[in-house]
Formats: sequence, C-alpha cells, structure tokens
Amino acid sequence: MSGGPPRGLPSTGPHSLLDMPHPLAGSSSEEAVGGDSTPSPDLLMARSFGDKDLILPNGGTPAGTSSPASSSSLLNRLQLDDDIDGETRDLFVTVDDPKKHVCTMETYITYRITTKSTRVEFDLPEYSVRRRYQDFDWLRNKLEESQPTHLIPPLPEKFVVKGVVDRFSEEFVETRRKALDKFLKRITDHPVLSFNEHFNIFLTAKDLNAYKKQGMALLSRVGESVKHVTGGYKLRSRPLEFAAIGDYLDTFALKLGTIDRIAQRIIKEEIEYLVELREHGPVYSTWSALEGELAEPLEGVSACIGHCSTALEELTDDMTEDFLPVLREYILYSDSMKGVLKKRDQVQAEYEAKLEAVALRKEDRPKVPADVEKCQDRMECFNADLKADMERWQSSKRQDFRQLLMGMADKNIQYYEKCLMAWESIIPLLQEKPEAK
Amino acid sequence: MEQAPPDLERQWQPAPLEPLGHPDAELQAAVDEEAEVSRDEGPGDGTMTENNFGLKKIEISVSEAEKRTGRNAMNMQETYTAYLIETRSVEHTDGQSVLTDSLWRRYSEFELLRNYLLVYYPHIVVPPLPEKRAEFVWHKLSADNMDPDFVERRRIGLENFLLRVASHPILCRDKIFYLFLTQEGNWKETVNETGFQLKADSRLKALNATFRVKNPDKRFTELKHYSDELQSVISHLLRVRARVADRLYGVYKVHGNYGRVFSEWSAIEKEMGDGLQSAGHHMDVYASSIDDILEDEEHYADQLKEYLFYAEALRAVCRKHELMQYDLEMAAQDLASKKQQCEELATGTVRTFSLKGMTTKLFGQETPEQREARIKVLEEQINEGEQQLKSKNLEGREFKFGPMLRNALARCNPVK
Repeated sequence: MSGGPPRGLPSTGPHSLLDMPHPLAGSSSEEAVGGDSTPSPDLLMARSFGDKDLILPNGGTPAGTSSPASSSSLLNRLQLDDDIDGETRDLFVTVDDPKKHVCTMETYITYRITTKSTRVEFDLPEYSVRRRYQDFDWLRNKLEESQPTHLIPPLPEKFVVKGVVDRFSEEFVETRRKALDKFLKRITDHPVLSFNEHFNIFLTAKDLNAYKKQGMALLSRVGESVKHVTGGYKLRSRPLEFAAIGDYLDTFALKLGTIDRIAQRIIKEEIEYLVELREHGPVYSTWSALEGELAEPLEGVSACIGHCSTALEELTDDMTEDFLPVLREYILYSDSMKGVLKKRDQVQAEYEAKLEAVALRKEDRPKVPADVEKCQDRMECFNADLKADMERWQSSKRQDFRQLLMGMADKNIQYYEKCLMAWESIIPLLQEKPEAK
Repeated sequence: MEQAPPDLERQWQPAPLEPLGHPDAELQAAVDEEAEVSRDEGPGDGTMTENNFGLKKIEISVSEAEKRTGRNAMNMQETYTAYLIETRSVEHTDGQSVLTDSLWRRYSEFELLRNYLLVYYPHIVVPPLPEKRAEFVWHKLSADNMDPDFVERRRIGLENFLLRVASHPILCRDKIFYLFLTQEGNWKETVNETGFQLKADSRLKALNATFRVKNPDKRFTELKHYSDELQSVISHLLRVRARVADRLYGVYKVHGNYGRVFSEWSAIEKEMGDGLQSAGHHMDVYASSIDDILEDEEHYADQLKEYLFYAEALRAVCRKHELMQYDLEMAAQDLASKKQQCEELATGTVRTFSLKGMTTKLFGQETPEQREARIKVLEEQINEGEQQLKSKNLEGREFKFGPMLRNALARCNPVK
C-alpha cells in the first residue's frame, strides 16, 4: 500500500470492555489517535463557502478527500448539504476517534459514534457510543432483514488478508473509519432507513450486546412478509425498467472493477518511478562534491528532485487512501443491490404464480383471493421502494463520483504544482553566473 | 616555468560557446566572448583572436540531414545519413553573410577529422562528437540510428563540434579542418596521406596500461583524477536518468487505459455521460503527452553526454602527457647511463660492474681502435639522446598549458 512503516495505534492496555469507562460519562480521549476528528455538523453548516480562497484548519476535513484550498471540493460539500430534498436536517451522525482495545481473547478497534438529533424517536438530543466493526455488521444484517425492499449501503470489507495488510495500522484504520462514517451517513440520509429501530438502538444503546442477545426482532409489516417469501418460483418476464437496472449494475460493476485495476497499476508504476527518483537526486550531490563553482547549483538540483519525490509520495498515499476505497465501496454496493433485485424478482414470481393458479381454477367468481392480493401488494410496495431508492442512489452516486474524480484531478494538479514550485525556485540559482576571475 | 612567448599564451584560451545547440549559432558570438575573455586575462589586442582563415569571420552550420544509400567498402548496399555543412563568410562592413561553401559529409568523416586532430594536437582537449550509437537508452526510445529524433539531435551535436573546433585558436588554423569544410571530393584521401594513423601511439590504445612515472606532474594527476570521477558520475547519472524516463513513461501510458474504460462507462450513464467521455479523452491526451516531454529531455541528456566525452578527451590528454613524461624520463635515464659508459671508457676506470669489464679482465683489454670506435658510437648516441630530450622538453612545455583548459571548461555552460 502506501510507503513508510505503518504506525500502530496506542493500545488501551489489556482490560475487558466492561471495565471501560462509559462513553457518556465524559471520558476524555487522551489516548486517542487519528488526525481527522470530524467537526460537528453545526460547525459544518456555519462555514461560509462563498470565498474560494478559504483555508480550512488542519484536521477539519469531514471525511473529505480533497485539499483545504481546493475550490471544487468546497463546492461539492456545499452540494452535499443542500441535496436533502430541500428539507432541513434533523439527524447528524459521525464516526471518529478509533481506539485499540487489547483483551485476553482478542484485540480490536472501537469507534466513537456521535449522534445529534431533534427527532422524537430519540430521547436525548445527543448521544455518544462506542462501536466495533462487528456491531456495524450486525446493524447491516438487521437492516437487510427488516427492510428488504430497500437498498442498504455497503460496509467496508470484513476480512483482511493477514500478513498483507496490518489491520491496526493508522492508514488502514483511517480508511475503515471513513467508510463506516459514509455507511452511517447514507442511512441517515435515507427517509425510511433512518427511522429504523435497529438503527436507533445502534446509535443510542449503552450496551448493544445485551440488546443483541435479547434478539428483539422488530420487523416491519412488509419485512415480515417478505421474509417468508419462498423461493423457487420462476419469473415470467422482468419489467423493462428493472431489467435495465440489472444490466446497468452489471456493466457498472465491471467498469469500476477495471478502473480499480488501472488505478492500482498506476500507483504501482508511480511507486517504481519514485524508487528511481530517490536514486536520481543523490547522484547530483555526488557530482556537486567534485565541483567548485557548480557545487551549489548541482546541490540545488539534488534538493529539487528530493522535493519532487516527496510530492509524488504524497500523491500515491492520497490515491491509495482516498481513491481506491470509494471504487471498492461502489462495487460492493452494486453486488448488494443486485441481491435486492433478485428478491424483487422472487416476489413478482410468487405473485404471478399464485395469480396463474387462481386463473387456472376457472372459477366464475372474479374475486381475487386474499393471499394473491397480499402478494400483489407486496410486489407493488417492493417496486415502489426500489424505484425510489434507485433514484436516490443514482443521485448520490453522481455526487460521489464527481467528488472522487475531481479529487483525483486536484491531487494530481497539486503534485505538479509542488514540482513546478521546486524547479522554479532553483532557476535563479542556476542562472547565477560566477564573477569572472 | 619558462616564460612562454606572449602569442602562445594568449592562444591558449579557448572560447566558451554560447548558446549551445542553436542551429544557426553565429561564430560571431563565440568570437566576441573570446575577445572579452582575453581582454580580462591577458595583454594584447583582440586582433589575434578574432580571425579565422585569414582575417575573415565565418559562420558554420549543419543545416540538413538526408538519408542516402550507397555501397560500402565491401561493395554491399548500405543506408546512411549525410549532413549538409554550410559555411558563410561575414563581411566586416555591412554584416551580410555570403554562402561560400556547402557540402555533404557523413558521420564517419567527422570521426576521421577528429581522430586526425587527436593525433596532431595531443595537448589539446579536442571537442567531442555526438555519440556513434544511441546509448543510455530507455526502452521506448529507438536505438535506431535512422530514427528522425536521433538524427536531429546528432545534427545539433555535429554542428556544436564544428563550431567549437572553429572557435579554438589553434585548431581553427588546421588545414585539414579547412579542407573538411571546403573540399568535398578527395578529402578522405588527403587526410590519410598525412599518415596520421601511423603517428598515433599504439600504446595509448591500451587503456589501462600504467606508465611508471618517477616525477608525475601533480596538476595532471589531479586533472586525470577529476576526469575519471566526472566520467563516472555522469555515466551514473545517465543510467539513472534512463531508468527514471522509463518509469515515467510507464506511469503516463497506463493512464491511457482510463481513456477506453471511461468511454465505455459513459455509454451507460445519462447525466454523467458527457463528463466521463470528456475525462476519458483527457486521459488519452495526458498519456500521449509523455512522448514529447521525454524527447525534450533527451536534449538535456545529450548535453550531459557531451561533457562525458569531454571528460574522456581530457583524460586522453592527461594520458598522453603521462606517456610523454615517461618517454622523457626513459630517455634521460638512457642518456645518463650512456654518458657514464662513455666516461668509463675514456678514463679506463670501471666504476660499475659491467660484463665488458669482466670480459676485459678475463680475456685482456681491447685494442685502442676498438675503444675509440665504441666511444664514437656512444657519443653519437649521446648526441641523439640530448636532441631527443630537448624536443621532449619542448613538447612537455606545451602540455603545461593544460590546466588552463580546466578553467575554460568550468566557464562553459552550467548544468541546465
């Protein structure tokens, strides 16, 4: 991945989770590591985005990818906030402050989840809990169960190849944190999912494990019924629009996969280029030692190449940390979405089969039996939910990719600007002519 | 150090060349610079340094390159490139230039000229030619001598070579050089007739042979050491640079893959379609931009190579000096021993052990006639030896101006 030795997080020491001070008891994060502590949403809204030269303070980038001074990224953030169907937000969730826990059985990371809301569903205006990846996984499963007609956002990958990636390295944890934050924000933005009871519990419960053990299944009516849909019905004809969505997702995932491969290849080539550059600079230093009048200019060239090397390293790090994860996220998203499409097909298939069965019975009564009606109901609900979610997904996809590609362009431009600056700064040195002896 | 005649000293300030690589660079600029330099450093007026070929200023340019086919020495068909050399004389009064000569030469003729100069002026750092074959090549660059970019860079290099020779106060007066610029036919024969190949010291060909010099000139030793180090560091630099270019090429070209996939992706998108298509196009442009960038950088590499070869030339001069010094010491040693022998014969005393002495003791002394004869032979040899020594000393004096060349080199264009 990125160059340089991965830095591990400081550990809280070997004690069990139960001994940990309660997050709401006002524990300070003196052992916290992680530069990007996301500012509260209030702060985010209060900033003025009119001034393109606005320099944001360090660490003030909310799960962002672009540099502070980049005007394009500011515009993107502005759009993101505006694009909630004109409604004012009443729920804000952020993920930050990763901490390592070392216990006898295992070592793992928890993240702080901060929630601010004026909704009636929340007893308190503000919550702060700690959750680990397992908990997020649980949440996602519960959402899939309880809201099967909706598209549930993806989680970052569960398993990491041990030995290849250090799952406690700062870079890895930060990448994961950003993805988890994105996950929760997507749920927050969803008009149906954000009101889900499991989601509420996840954000507020002091002891999530206890809740999990109780196995409280609060399924919505539709969810309950869809759960019992038997498979095995063959679909006659898929409505055009859903077929189109399926095709789209197939191609989309394919193209993203290709882009991911290309991006990885580019990073690899850039790193190899970097290796050569790191050898290139010092040769000028060696030469400089042989010379008299030329010594200073040559040393200057060497330093200049050094600056370019550093700039390149920063570029490859940024691309690895910010660009690749988003591609992977959308590939996972597409996969899960195709799963939902399949479920929809199943629901339609069951309805059609039952309808056909009724038609075959050749009864004169035009009355449609209750269970067929229920199937039709289910199908129509599913179709409506899915269509609405797809539109929402398309819109946020556009935004995400716009930000992603512009971020990539920005990062590259910054790299070239840094190099340009380095070279321009030594031109006077090179043009300086020594006095005639 | 003996005081050299003022003329000689002034002539030893070769002119730096500015700007370099400019196709129609005028000799005028170089000449002016030289005049300036001599004004700072030595007595005398500018008349000596301004002249070429008898009180006339000339402009030289290698203006064109052309592919030709012909038959080589083995009567086999070959393809080569010929270069057009144009010489113009600049009239003092109105500054207009008139084309006086124009002829075609190929690389091998340039080589011949240079080899000739190397033999006849062993104490001068002869300007380098552009490389014979493309070296320090990164993989995409054509190592083909027919490649138009290579030919263009070679053209520039050949022009620089001629301009530098022409601006050298000693080399510019050489007849063979003059004929190279003016006499198209039979020039090769004329050069070979000088017999310079025979004059070349074959000992110099053995690059690593060391000549044990008793009193090496420290300045030359340092200069040789410097030229070795310079060669080494520039070679290293060129090698690394070639690898860097190779890698950079890879980075840019892979971006080209984005072009196709963005285009394919844009086909399935509605609102994003145009943007993605445009992005793909720009990726293609980006990927293809590297070719020109790297071609430009080759010109920088060429300048490095120039100094690599210059360092080689400098080293050659140091080696020739070493060899000459060695010969001098050997000659002096030989002379001394002969003088001693002569003295011994004359006085009849045997100071050192010699076979002759022994045989004399054993078999009786030789006749006076025999002794006279031997003394005479020795005296002749002594005379010869003294003459040789004198001439070698003279040669040596010429070499002593070597260190000034280093100053001149340092004054030449700094690294870009």
